[in-house]
Amino acid sequence: MVLQAIALVLAFSAAGVLARVSIQQMNEQAFRTDVLGELSSLDDEWRHKGVGHLPYTVIKRERLWHGFEYGLASSAGGYLAGDAALAGLTRPGWTKTFGAKGLVLTYTERLPGGGWLSVGRDLTTEQRQMGALTLLLLLGGAIGVAICLATAYLTTRWTWRRLDQLSATAVLVAEGRLDVRAPIRRSSAPDEIDELSLAFNAMLDRIGRLVDQLRRVTTDVAHDMRRPLTRLRQKLERLGRAAQATPAIADEVRKLDGDFLEILRTFDALLQLAEIEGSPRPEGLIDLTEVAGRVSEALRPDIEDSGRTLEALMERVQVKGDVDLVAQAIANLLENALRHTPAGTQIELRVEHNAGAPRLLVRDNGPGIPAEHRDTALAPLGRLESSRSTPGCGLGLAIASSVAVWHGARLELADAAPGLEVSISFPPSRR
Amino acid sequence: MVQVHPLRRRLPHAPPQASPAVPGRSPLRVLIIEDDAEVARNMADDLAGFGIEAVVLNEGGAALAPGMGDGPFDVLIIDRMLPGCDGLALLGQLRERGVETPALFVTAMGALADRVAGLQGGGDDYVVKPIDSEELSARVQVLAKRRTRPNNATKLTCADLELDRLHRKARRAGQPISLLPLEFRLLEFLLLSRGQPVTRKMLLEEVWGFHFDPRTNIVETHICRLRAKLEAIGGPPLIQTIRGAGYVIRDA
Repeated sequence: MVLQAIALVLAFSAAGVLARVSIQQMNEQAFRTDVLGELSSLDDEWRHKGVGHLPYTVIKRERLWHGFEYGLASSAGGYLAGDAALAGLTRPGWTKTFGAKGLVLTYTERLPGGGWLSVGRDLTTEQRQMGALTLLLLLGGAIGVAICLATAYLTTRWTWRRLDQLSATAVLVAEGRLDVRAPIRRSSAPDEIDELSLAFNAMLDRIGRLVDQLRRVTTDVAHDMRRPLTRLRQKLERLGRAAQATPAIADEVRKLDGDFLEILRTFDALLQLAEIEGSPRPEGLIDLTEVAGRVSEALRPDIEDSGRTLEALMERVQVKGDVDLVAQAIANLLENALRHTPAGTQIELRVEHNAGAPRLLVRDNGPGIPAEHRDTALAPLGRLESSRSTPGCGLGLAIASSVAVWHGARLELADAAPGLEVSISFPPSRR
Repeated sequence: MVQVHPLRRRLPHAPPQASPAVPGRSPLRVLIIEDDAEVARNMADDLAGFGIEAVVLNEGGAALAPGMGDGPFDVLIIDRMLPGCDGLALLGQLRERGVETPALFVTAMGALADRVAGLQGGGDDYVVKPIDSEELSARVQVLAKRRTRPNNATKLTCADLELDRLHRKARRAGQPISLLPLEFRLLEFLLLSRGQPVTRKMLLEEVWGFHFDPRTNIVETHICRLRAKLEAIGGPPLIQTIRGAGYVIRDA
């Protein structure tokens, strides 16, 4: 806006200066023509009546005054008639000199016999007019600049407002709302912003279709897989009962059952990942402190029996969220801290306000995860070499991270020096 | 967030039903509405092994016939993805007709939102397939019993153990036992289904409100601690482990 204003003022000034200069030049040109005309009329006089009569002619024309000034000097430079200042001019050609009334544009010529004749045009009136013109140009320029700036401001503001609507839509989409669309004007022909909105909406339609598809595929896969899984489970049970007499076979069936449950666990976790990402954001407020407390008390006996310690430090914190998913995320983090650390590790669970934003921390003083392996640890099914031997499907942290993202929060791994710190930073509560 | 708590869902003053199922005397009767004939048959067989009679319907529409959905059943077991209709809509229609029979959804639709919809839509319990026979029979028995035995008693007992729900105190042989809030809830839930097995998964849902399956043996550890507290006073063990199935509290 400031740049626009500067450019406008410069443009109007340049135009004004040009206009003023050319008008002045045109005026001067006209005056020169006038002066030369008067001079040739005087030339005519002395050719007819002789040079000696010229003083009388000059005096007469001065009296009748047609807007010209005169000066007549003898060959020795003595004053003969007219304006004294003009009569003092003894150099042929154009000069500007100050006469009795003001600045005069004068042409001087040498008379036969050695005298000097000067004819001039008074510039005072013209100067006054130019002053008025300058004032007029300045005023016109100022009005022009003001009108241009106002128009620019209004159109820009209008454009900004439409872009604001577009970005507000984008924010809603980022929050998981896929039913919103950018507004399109219907009244007038579509402009660039309308085209942008149209393209944006087309993109949203496509994302919406893909998400729907994913959701449908997920449900279908769930249904189609759970049917055979259900039968398999029933058959395994039957087999187990039938094999009770032969312990060796019964033992094998029990192992099969264990494998089956492991497959089911991974299957459920993968489905859940897809489901979390496809569902709308939670709206209701939940008591993060209560959920964290419930999960930590549930896991405390196991953590303590395993020779580790658990300390829970809670501030009262509420977040927008889903109780079940948050509970699961916290349980996953605590179970990771339990499974991937040696006995004697101290585990700490914190729920706190961190600069106005709710935050949940799970920190341990175990071996930690080197910075270069943290991305792998967060990826679904990403398991670190060091944890291949421990049971687990490598989805716990991925689910926790996915739950965090779904809540508009961020899950990060950091060095607790020593140990691992997992933080879930929720967006600042807007209230 | 609606915390669905099946224990408190059914109103305590629900009218007593015509044919109360008394375990041991007349067997429980359930209606299975499941489109996969093999799965349904296996479920019926499994339940028979626990002394529960089952009638199988392979179509949702058939459940609306007189004497079926509104018949003298103790529990309805409903699949949600039935050909041509959602089990949820089916139950809605039955509930509109005044059918109060407890309903258990056994379904492939396992998202949290599906569970909430199922429980808000008139279901009394919701489990995701695959489900083993112990889990199924335990849930059926708890649902059936909840109808006949009100759960609003202020005192729950088992042998010489007494739980005062009003003052949240437990005593054994007259001696007070100090319980953590979670231990109290665990014992309360066990006592409410006295004599009936409850599974690990049911305890996770009812006591901790966890609808996921933690890897850690949360239930085992807590039961172990609770047992130690109950037995410190002396007397026979009250909480018994049913291998592969869950736990039961009963007089020796």
